[in-house]
Amino acid sequence: MRVTSNGFSNNLVTQLNQLLERQNRLQTQAATGQKVTLPEDDPAAVRRILDLQAESRTNTQYQGNIARLKESATTTFSALQGFKTISDRAGEIATLADGLKSREELNAYATEVGNLIKQAVQLANTKDRGNFLFGGTRNDGPPYVATSDPDGRVTSVTYQGNTDIAESEIAENVTVGLQSLGANSSGNGPRGVVTDSRSGGDFLNHLISLQSNLLSGNVAAIAATDRPQLARDEENILHHISANGVTQSRLETTRNLAESRGFSLNARVSQEADADLAQTLVQLSQSQTAYQAALQSGARLLGNSLLDYLR
Amino acid sequence: MLGLFATLNLGARSLATQQQGSEVAGQNLANVNNPAYSRQRLAISTSLPVPSMIGPQGSGVQSVAIVQLRDALLERQIQSETSVSGSLAAQQSALQNVQTQLGEQINTQNTDANSTVAGQYGLAQGLSDLFDGFQRLSTDPGSPSQRQVLLQGAQGLASQFNQVASRLDGVRTTLNNSIQSDVDQSNSLLTDIAKLNQQIVYSEAGRGGTANDLRDLRQQKIESLSKLVNVTTVSQPNGGLDVSIGGVTLLSGISQTDRLETYDAGGGQMLVRAQTAATPLTLTGGRIEGNINVRDGALATLQASTNQLAAQLITEVNAIHRGGYDLNGGTGLDLFSGTDAASIRVNAALVTDPSRLQMSGVPGAAGNNSVALTLAQLANKKVSTLNDQTFSQKYSATVAQLGQSLSSMNDQVENHSAVSRMLETQRNSISGVSLDEEMTDLVKYQKAFQASARLINVVSEMLETVVNLR
Repeated sequence: MRVTSNGFSNNLVTQLNQLLERQNRLQTQAATGQKVTLPEDDPAAVRRILDLQAESRTNTQYQGNIARLKESATTTFSALQGFKTISDRAGEIATLADGLKSREELNAYATEVGNLIKQAVQLANTKDRGNFLFGGTRNDGPPYVATSDPDGRVTSVTYQGNTDIAESEIAENVTVGLQSLGANSSGNGPRGVVTDSRSGGDFLNHLISLQSNLLSGNVAAIAATDRPQLARDEENILHHISANGVTQSRLETTRNLAESRGFSLNARVSQEADADLAQTLVQLSQSQTAYQAALQSGARLLGNSLLDYLR
Repeated sequence: MLGLFATLNLGARSLATQQQGSEVAGQNLANVNNPAYSRQRLAISTSLPVPSMIGPQGSGVQSVAIVQLRDALLERQIQSETSVSGSLAAQQSALQNVQTQLGEQINTQNTDANSTVAGQYGLAQGLSDLFDGFQRLSTDPGSPSQRQVLLQGAQGLASQFNQVASRLDGVRTTLNNSIQSDVDQSNSLLTDIAKLNQQIVYSEAGRGGTANDLRDLRQQKIESLSKLVNVTTVSQPNGGLDVSIGGVTLLSGISQTDRLETYDAGGGQMLVRAQTAATPLTLTGGRIEGNINVRDGALATLQASTNQLAAQLITEVNAIHRGGYDLNGGTGLDLFSGTDAASIRVNAALVTDPSRLQMSGVPGAAGNNSVALTLAQLANKKVSTLNDQTFSQKYSATVAQLGQSLSSMNDQVENHSAVSRMLETQRNSISGVSLDEEMTDLVKYQKAFQASARLINVVSEMLETVVNLR
């Protein structure tokens, strides 16, 4: 084929452009470590990456949810431990208060129980990040309101929360309700920590009853009624403590699963998006060599013409 | 026998011919860098022989014509390929623009310390942020700070939708403007071609031969026009060229019979028609067609998809939110207002008072999160109007669809440019100027000129000898 002066230079320019474009693409890949950046690079991969990234973000959010729930569960656990301590001491007092004790001693016990009641009401009104833990979903106000007599003794308590608990998602379509209710006398749904009709627990009222029996010196009633009642309360509290432990370990397991899922999602994103550096660099050096060769040969040929030899 | 005087004439004719030859070579050399130029050759032949005793005797040389070396078939092919490549290049550039304006990029380098998933902030991130906000609020429905975070996420997403909508609308406007300016340019090219037709017909009618340089110029204009719109050309015996577009004749010989114009086919959809016609022209190539194609194809699909996504999001979120209760027991408010990507906004009442976000399923229970939870679970819901995809999936499918259009367009452009390059190389090998050839020709004509001059010299000496005979 006949090759003309400009035809030759035009071809050279086109070839150089192609080589430059190729080098630029490879250089971008090497610098970013990604073979896919824009949708045009690999539409199918971009779709998979976007889906995986959305999944990964959701997965991260699940981990956030779990962390938040775990925080609440830990706070609940401390409060339950507090109840357990109070219950232990109340049980002890109920056992100590027998017919051998003087009225003064019984009064002293009554004062101690009075303090335990106040402490228990305080625990029942425990807050976590501004929310009352034991009020069900009505958690913007204290679940327990105590009524006191002129001596400052708590004579009755009212539960103001509800029996509804909030469910949170910890994995796709897996929701858990971890809240502990203060009271549930309905006989279904989650059990109450302080008052529960199924286990017969009614901790605060039982403490109040102990207090009034101590004050009146009715040791018989303490032995016959209060002691067994407090034992049921203790059991109920222990039930909640162990349930809380199970919950925490469930959260931990789910968190570990979510974490490893996160790793595998990231690995899949990187599989789709990341450039094989070794391959990219080899290709880059190949096209660099081609570019240099084209430049060198082109420059040598471009300068030659018949004009150099005619006089 | 010619005789000495006739031989002197022979020498003079030869001198003139060689001189003309070097003039043509000079013309070729001068136009070596003119892309519209086709190389020319001086056609020479022996002049009329003179009868003599020993038979007809040659009387030297004469130049017959200056011919242009061009291949009409190849040029026709180039012309139609120019239309195709004009259309493809326009589509590629428009789609690249759309891709840029959509602003979705994959970035796996994690630069944000707060997130384990990196990514350019785009709609994909915005959607995740909204649903993550619902998730966080579901673990803490009464929290004022989480409510604020959710509202920020929702506002971020809404403004992201607004931006994408307005940027895509900007691309649409740019394409319409470009169609308008291309139509104007086509009309002015048609006028130029009509003028050139006239000049060619007049200059070839009188003296015969071809108006090479005018034809070069006309071919260049035709190719420029082909880049904008696919044209069909028919050569006339008198040298004129008829031009029609999509079956409508716009140029007949030396007269321009029609012009192109844009018109609004409804809804701001600019189409092209001939001024005398009411219906749009059928365009199959050229930049105008490419721009219309992207505007009414990939861009329209993308706009429809983002609008559908926004509309569905507004409907689904509002339907759930409306039934919830805020921290004060209020109900019935929408979370989003608007109907599509351009109009989506977060309800201003909620922005001023985040406690009015209706996250509770029952009144008077601040800790009830059933609405927040249902909204959070919307992230994984397969929505039937989005072809049973989740919101995120619908969006990534939309991005992938655009990527697919652009990627296949890139391939087409690449394949086609190989064809164009080949045709161009072929044309160049026929019509292009070679410096080496022209230099050789120049030397050839120079030597012949010198030889002819020598002949005249010799004949002159012979004449002197004859005149001085004693």
